[in-house]
Amino acid sequence: MHFVTGGAFNGKRKWVITRYPDGKWVSAYKGEALVEDLNALHAATVVLEGLEAWVKELSFSREKWRSIISGWRKWEQQAPARQVIVIGTDISKGIVPIEKENRSWRDQTGWVYQDMVVACERVDMIWYGINQRIKG
Amino acid sequence: MIFITGGVRSGKSTFAEQMAAQRAKELGGRLHYLATGAPSDEEMSKRIMRHQQKRSESEFMWRTWEQPRHIERLASSFSKKDVVLLDCVTTLLNNELFFLNQEWEEEFLREVFERLLDGIGVLQANCAELVLVSNEVLNEPLGTNELVLKYSFMLGNLHQELVKRADRAYLVESGIPILVKGGRG
Repeated sequence: MHFVTGGAFNGKRKWVITRYPDGKWVSAYKGEALVEDLNALHAATVVLEGLEAWVKELSFSREKWRSIISGWRKWEQQAPARQVIVIGTDISKGIVPIEKENRSWRDQTGWVYQDMVVACERVDMIWYGINQRIKG
Repeated sequence: MIFITGGVRSGKSTFAEQMAAQRAKELGGRLHYLATGAPSDEEMSKRIMRHQQKRSESEFMWRTWEQPRHIERLASSFSKKDVVLLDCVTTLLNNELFFLNQEWEEEFLREVFERLLDGIGVLQANCAELVLVSNEVLNEPLGTNELVLKYSFMLGNLHQELVKRADRAYLVESGIPILVKGGRG
């Protein structure tokens, strides 16, 4: 699994499209639902965009997220051609939000990203179109 | 061209000044400081004065220009050996976006985007090295406000284009410059 992160409008999508031109996309930014069972997509390469938006929308526990992540990983490992790419925007570096809801969203997202990074063999941080490989 | 960003109080301006001074030494040209911000309150004035003070105490002679908009008009003031430090791109974008009380429609935004890049291009063509400073503001929740999203889209895309054009790009973290693009050459 490959996790791609970085600030908003930093060119993450462009970078992933160039790298994985045949990926089947599911995007939280387009209002599309999170796909837990990737068999439903009928594709070998899947790109899941907007992890932080699904974290906000679904308010799952960390445990639930861990099991989803591990499900994606297992799906990928079942066939050599399979690839899962997950894109999540970094929202961790601003001022602590005033509203409890947004504080908790930011915390949740940080924890899910940490679990994501553990499950991935490769992680890239995109900074204005340039990738920094930070794992793998 | 050298592109430098960092968060608030990351030391990006200090690093940019050192970098510009070093380049001026190497190139044998004069040093220009292009200030884009007008002081909006007392704290801002102090901040600007502190930076001016530091530059005046440095061993290099800085020539300061204040140009909140239409930076390309300064191009004829520089020679091909000179180093120009522009601090900062974010303020320049703000000045363009808020100068006219205009609706942020797609056409207006695209026009501002092109104009800024053209202005920077003209400066770049008229000096030996252009050093750009900007802010890191895109690593926090942006919310759903349409203006914030449009602004962030503009800034992110502007930075992407500038990094593409730059020979070197640095991210400054707590005073430590991280070279993300390019090498010393």
